[in-house]
Amino acid sequence: MSIAGSVLRVGSVTTNFQSESPLHPAARAFLDDAFDRGWADPSKPHQSSRQTAILLNESKEIFSHHLGIRSEQVEFLADPALGFHLGISGLAQPGSQLYYSAIDRSEVFAVAEGMDSTKLPVGLNGIAAYPEASEKDVLAWQAANGETGIISFQPSTFKGRIFVDATASGPRLRMPDRWHAGLWNSQSWQGPSGLGIFALSERSAWKNPLPHIDHNISSSNFSIPLAIASALALEGYVGDYKAEKKRIEGMNSRIREFLHSEIHDVDVAGDVAYGLPHLLSFSILYIDAQILINKLDERGFAVDSGSACNSANMEPSHVLAAMGILTHGNVRLTLHPTVKDEELKEFLQVLKEIVAELRQ
Amino acid sequence: MELNCLGMRCPLPIIKLAQQLKNTEEVTLLSDDPATLPDLTAWARMTGNTFTTLGEHRYLVKKL
Repeated sequence: MSIAGSVLRVGSVTTNFQSESPLHPAARAFLDDAFDRGWADPSKPHQSSRQTAILLNESKEIFSHHLGIRSEQVEFLADPALGFHLGISGLAQPGSQLYYSAIDRSEVFAVAEGMDSTKLPVGLNGIAAYPEASEKDVLAWQAANGETGIISFQPSTFKGRIFVDATASGPRLRMPDRWHAGLWNSQSWQGPSGLGIFALSERSAWKNPLPHIDHNISSSNFSIPLAIASALALEGYVGDYKAEKKRIEGMNSRIREFLHSEIHDVDVAGDVAYGLPHLLSFSILYIDAQILINKLDERGFAVDSGSACNSANMEPSHVLAAMGILTHGNVRLTLHPTVKDEELKEFLQVLKEIVAELRQ
Repeated sequence: MELNCLGMRCPLPIIKLAQQLKNTEEVTLLSDDPATLPDLTAWARMTGNTFTTLGEHRYLVKKL
């Protein structure tokens, strides 16, 4: 059996509301070229290397422009999750206290395990209050939450060093005025998986927490063709997002209105006015998320869920639990710019039908 | 009245609890599902019912 054969058989996808999406067409169109021209080691003296170096520098300019960092600050990581350790542990000093939110990513929790740390509680709105702290303390600041879309308050009163987790917000939000390390995930702009962008505002505030023998920030061997493809995806995505933002906001509001008026007992996380419009999480009382998701899939709609029955460890989403949002019957939608209004309309009707059927 | 939901996964404990509360004013719920505590909190906020934690996996739930 060939992989290509298997891929073809599971081909025809449905309306995709999952957080993952196919590669952006702008990146896909250039993918062959990226592999043809960006294969060499850019540090060697050959023509092929110079060509790769030029492409990589052009890509860094694109990341710099859209992510609000300087091009010389752009570092690539083959494993975006490594950036949490690099950023947070790298900013810590002896005696540092790490402050992080109860709705941060689990990678932040893992880093916090090995440090003196304080988990900041959040209210029903998902917002944490940041302490002033001292200059040597570290704040893991999530620009926006990847499950609910909730945008965090600016960390302007925090006196210590700030690690910005922009893995969910990508190019959609500006960096705070003061930051020390930042992390992005290429998948958040329909770029390829397996690529993170890491940046330090100034090297002096940071000490490499990984075993190292040189001045490089990371020894991870990222794929240069994928980095180039990611830059093109970012450029394309930003254009799409600008063009479609109002429509996506409208879709988000329509979903909330529909849930409020058409399906009773639904717990919706956050408020569209304080969130990223393309993300939405809601939980339907007395509904088994696993059954709901399978039934939606049968009807051609792929959604995510933070319910325990849908997670690998059978634990409910720590984000929902920390906010006090119902954890069962949870549905998480990502409204990609490609989702059509009619598809959403049909989805909502199907959802209503299935919930009515399951509640009987 | 005691409702034993030990070993059951979400959303069963909350569904059984809601059914039970149709017939009675007060239920002691036994549940060891990790989603029960966060879900009881949300369910109480959504429905107006109240609960107190009596001990590990043990909750006293009162109807509004």
